[in-house]
Amino acid sequence: MRKILLAGLVSLLPVAALAQESDAAPTVDLPMADVTKVMTAAVDGFIRPGYDAFHESADKMTTAMKALCEAPSKAKYDAAKSAFRDAAVSWAHIEVVRVGPVIEQNRFERILFYPDRKSTGLKQVQSLLSKVDETATDPATLGTKSVAMQGFGALEYVLAGTGSEELLKAKNSYRCRYGAAIAGNIANVAKELSDIWDAPEGIQKAWEQPGPDNLNFRTGGEAITALLGILVHGAEAVRDQRIETFYKGSDKAKFPKQALFWRSENTWPTIKGNLEGLSTLLEKSGMVELLKEKDRPIVAATQAKLKSMIELSAKITPDLEKAVENAAERKKLDTLLADGKDVIAKLNDGYGGAIGLSSGFSFADGD
Amino acid sequence: MWRGEAIDRRGFLKAAGITFTAALAPSSLMALERTDAVYASGFRAPDGSFGVATVSERGEIIDRVPLPARAHGLAYSAATGRTVAFARRPGTFAMVFDPSRQTEPVMITSPEGRHFYGHGHFSPDGTRLYASENDFDGNRGMIGVYDARDKFRRIGEFDAHGIGTHDMTVSDDGKLLVIANGGIETHPDFGRTKLNVDRMEPSLVLLDAKTGVLIQRHRLPASLKQLSTRHLDMAENGRIWFACQWEGARNALPPLAGWFSRGEDLSFVSLPEETTVRLGNYIGAIAVNRHDGVVGLTSPIGGAAVTLDAKTGAVAKEETVREAAGVASAAHGIAVSSYDGQFNDTRSAVAWDQHIVRLG
Repeated sequence: MRKILLAGLVSLLPVAALAQESDAAPTVDLPMADVTKVMTAAVDGFIRPGYDAFHESADKMTTAMKALCEAPSKAKYDAAKSAFRDAAVSWAHIEVVRVGPVIEQNRFERILFYPDRKSTGLKQVQSLLSKVDETATDPATLGTKSVAMQGFGALEYVLAGTGSEELLKAKNSYRCRYGAAIAGNIANVAKELSDIWDAPEGIQKAWEQPGPDNLNFRTGGEAITALLGILVHGAEAVRDQRIETFYKGSDKAKFPKQALFWRSENTWPTIKGNLEGLSTLLEKSGMVELLKEKDRPIVAATQAKLKSMIELSAKITPDLEKAVENAAERKKLDTLLADGKDVIAKLNDGYGGAIGLSSGFSFADGD
Repeated sequence: MWRGEAIDRRGFLKAAGITFTAALAPSSLMALERTDAVYASGFRAPDGSFGVATVSERGEIIDRVPLPARAHGLAYSAATGRTVAFARRPGTFAMVFDPSRQTEPVMITSPEGRHFYGHGHFSPDGTRLYASENDFDGNRGMIGVYDARDKFRRIGEFDAHGIGTHDMTVSDDGKLLVIANGGIETHPDFGRTKLNVDRMEPSLVLLDAKTGVLIQRHRLPASLKQLSTRHLDMAENGRIWFACQWEGARNALPPLAGWFSRGEDLSFVSLPEETTVRLGNYIGAIAVNRHDGVVGLTSPIGGAAVTLDAKTGAVAKEETVREAAGVASAAHGIAVSSYDGQFNDTRSAVAWDQHIVRLG
């Protein structure tokens, strides 16, 4: 059913009431069967498995945190930090999807509050740790507090920030129980996302079958443009939000402690996770199949550049102070920035132009 | 957005002077000599660089001014001839230039904690420039006030009484600022990401242009809370036309345009369903031609240009324009551009940006 909305009035009209659409001039005009195949592959081969995996890793992180709280030991502490890393990397894979349910009801911010230029999250977490607030030790009540206190950034501080040695000193310490509640809260949000995407009549169907009655995409072109948008915006986020936040070039001011997860040295594992997520989505969706034969090399070229970035990100020192000071390390950062720009251009202008966006994806995203 | 009588080329040539015309390429000079109107619009060149061009009625490029990044909306002062190209959000520059190149360009930079939202307007006497801006840490729209007589020094700001402030204009007598608050929260840390689509707060606002005092604010009803009120133009008798972009369910048929005046409620145009569908629930630009009594709307999403009767709101004309971008009042009817380089009768090797301003 299509909805006609008027001020103060919502009425419903049958589909048959729709006028002809033969005069429409969709910018991206692709065969619907091909679009459905690609969207289905993107949803079933990347988005749903991505959220499922994230949910599973968040559950494991919660279990590891509870185990640490109940019987603190060096081994349990290491296991908790390892579970944190696994969950953060799992999130990084699917984090590139910045549309749909994840950006509703503050879910994204509840999982990860970043960037945080004014250290709002840090201040709130430090304040919470300086006293005992039992409502912060229950995921249900923690979930109603400031988003900056309930996600990965907060848990990283619990595990690796000032005072983290307390985790080993006493059984069921307040700090540890707060950390376990954060993990549980992340797992709760992850479950919500997983459930929403797994519901057969919900968003998964809407993404896979564009049409006049669809809540998300009226045409196949809109759906594919949105899918491309995930890749373009995801690549932009890696470059602009994850790297340039602390390093914009050798001649610019450097802020290594503004980097995401610098304390736990998980900056590069999660950036690598973002890049792998982009590469996996591009591959699993089969987006290349929508292009004419002559245009298909743009996808292989994009994948090659992403692969190069993934490999390079694993070779940069996790000590970000050193990464921005050492000339050889800086060269790697410069390469990542340049390659990131190239990936964005290949997706934006290359793939975007090939499907019909004459001036590229970003130019055509309106305002 | 231009609102005077049909501008003529002679006025522009007179203002431009011999130095300007002597510097033009023969084809550009020919275009200028035979045009009935002159426009300006932002563009992206094939090499990826950005600029703003003056354009003839036929759509031929007369002159180009380079820009450091992508522009969005433009403002023109008939009193001084100054034209401003505002950076696209979340940009931090606005380039003031003289289309006749009689004075040096001035680059305005948004102050700390603010970025431009892409639109602005001059006071009728050209002494003030108003710009829509984002106080991003305060999550509120602002109107920056700049002194055009003093190198566009920022002399103050007004609360726009809404979030996601986008287009704005000034009443003919200069007493009112008319503001379209799109209702969508953004923050430069998150690029162009829309941060609150599930809890938008669109509104249309009138401020006292001298004091910034709130005169009138229209919030939308709950059923239309995801209708982003984004673009404006003034018709005769103080009627303010507005155009919207729908962020809600794609299978809805929301009203996409309407009007109001000081002291009046909002009136939405009842577009035919096929027109709403054709516009893709998204109007990217709006312009009123007072002389002809029509309103132009474009949609890059739907690939359409629609002309309405300014008195009744009835659809007078619908055209298919692939990747439709800007609209402006033409000597007759509405001028339309597109992302793929079409500007009225001419296709150029540029991507025209979302807005056109008529110079005159």
